[in-house]
Amino acid sequence: MVLEATMICIDNSEWMRNGDYSPSRFQALADAVNLICGAKTQSNPENTVGVLTMAGKGVRVLVTPTSDLGKILACMHGLEVGGEMNLAAGIQVAQLALKHRQNKKQQQRIIVFAGSPVKHEKKLLEMIGRKLKKNSVALDIVNFGEDDEGKTEKLEALLAAVNNNETSHIVNVPPGPNALSDVLISTPIFTGDGEGGSGFAAAAAAAAAGGVSGFDFGVDPNLDPELALALRVSMEEERARQEAAAKKAAEEASKQEKGGEQSSSQDATMTERAGVATSDADNKTTDLTQDDENALLQQALAMSMDDPATNNDVRDTDMSEAAAEDPELALALQLSVQDGTKDSAGQSDMSKLLADQSFVSSILASLPGVDPNDPSVKDLLASMQSQSEPQKKNDDKGPNEDEKQ
Amino acid sequence: MACLHDHSCEEHDCSSDWSLYKHIDLTKVSALNEATTGSVKSVFKAWEQRLNSSGDFLESNEGDPELLVFIPFTSDVKIKGISIVGGADGTSPSKMRAFINRDGIDFSDAQSMQAVQEWELVENIQGVLEYQTRYSKFQSVANITLHFPENFGGDTTQIHYIGFKGEATQLKRDVVATIVYELTPNPSDHKTKAEGGGGLSHVGK
Repeated sequence: MVLEATMICIDNSEWMRNGDYSPSRFQALADAVNLICGAKTQSNPENTVGVLTMAGKGVRVLVTPTSDLGKILACMHGLEVGGEMNLAAGIQVAQLALKHRQNKKQQQRIIVFAGSPVKHEKKLLEMIGRKLKKNSVALDIVNFGEDDEGKTEKLEALLAAVNNNETSHIVNVPPGPNALSDVLISTPIFTGDGEGGSGFAAAAAAAAAGGVSGFDFGVDPNLDPELALALRVSMEEERARQEAAAKKAAEEASKQEKGGEQSSSQDATMTERAGVATSDADNKTTDLTQDDENALLQQALAMSMDDPATNNDVRDTDMSEAAAEDPELALALQLSVQDGTKDSAGQSDMSKLLADQSFVSSILASLPGVDPNDPSVKDLLASMQSQSEPQKKNDDKGPNEDEKQ
Repeated sequence: MACLHDHSCEEHDCSSDWSLYKHIDLTKVSALNEATTGSVKSVFKAWEQRLNSSGDFLESNEGDPELLVFIPFTSDVKIKGISIVGGADGTSPSKMRAFINRDGIDFSDAQSMQAVQEWELVENIQGVLEYQTRYSKFQSVANITLHFPENFGGDTTQIHYIGFKGEATQLKRDVVATIVYELTPNPSDHKTKAEGGGGLSHVGK
């Protein structure tokens, strides 16, 4: 993260009204400037950025190098387009502004956005470039907009004069569907001489590349390593649980035929419920599918009850049926489960959800093969409601079991 | 201003005199208009190695003989003399100007400012020439900036060795590191004589 003071030279001449970059050249430029300022200040908190305009009535420094991003963004508002760009004067004023920076330890850099034709001679530009090199100022040139004869050549000559050890760059952006900022993100202007890029630039690049394709869980491990790790761990846990649940469901189905007992579940309270489910399953001889669903539902509920961090059992049940077919859906659900962990809501919310019978029965209705009017399902609902009052649980278990026997 | 040794160096060990290089803060040494960034650090070495430029030396950019070298010390030093070994074929610097205890000088500053002392240099390939300083002005030097505006006609300026003769004190120049400004005054810090009792300026009882 190199400590740097940057001056951005903006072209606000008449040529910037053109619409070949959407919405207009000037707007694209403003977006790019905002992005660059953000990237610079984020890569090193002591970095400073300043802005000056080269056209209009004359070269005017809008804000001297500062690390206050708000000030920089504010000064971009209300800028008028007009006049002709004076590149040489702009660069020289930028050099002067950098010379008077407060922290002399900062490296000096100028970023020039050249959208209109360059009227200076090549020799003059080379002289300016040599002076910059002598005072160890780096220069980045963004060549976009107008492309008259010689403009690119002049800018390349300027770059050659300034360049000292590849610290200076030129980027040519032809008009096209891509926004100016998007094109710039992948250039060394953003990534800072191949340091590997700041987290900001990398995340912005990922976002620009279209969604979460850049990183595993839509979270940049550089930005938030703990969150990325937590997401990965819970994804693996959930996968393991789903496999276990599927295995148990298969086992239950086979054991039901044999009429054997099952010893599933993770904690003492859940053992009883699972016991209920098992005895339930044991005694049902009709409709195998429904019992499978029941067992799956029980397992899902057991899993969600076991993990107090998860406060929405609906997603668990959905996952057990849908996850196998739709990994993307599983990922989305996983993400939302993770969102749930962030909430401080605990067991109580889930109990309220379970207690809301209409809600649960609507969920059950959506499960294929489960008929809400089935007496076993109704018993299940009743037992879930009784879960919210732990004192009564044992009593309810008793009558439930008796009922089912 | 140059002073030749009147004895051969084998009998008398000159290296101990030129030991101020040990007090240079090499990480913060910088130069302007150097062709290779960081090459300036190679010119500060022991007296014995002053002629041994095994490839690394300070060279200016093509066609521009000016050089500006910023040298901070780890503690305040007193500088008695400076020795410069330049390159051959007119690449030796011909003038030297020194600025004391100034941070962040660049070429326009150096050209417009009055130097603490200036010297006319000669081509000193053997490195036996020493340029004396006005000692009274170089009594507590925390950093020194050397400006070489011209050379003897070469395309670039080359410097193989810069040596300082003098002594190091153990002091560090006063740097006010943190200043706390009060936004509002704290009355307990500002006890006046009146509050201490006595005097005519009691305000209220």
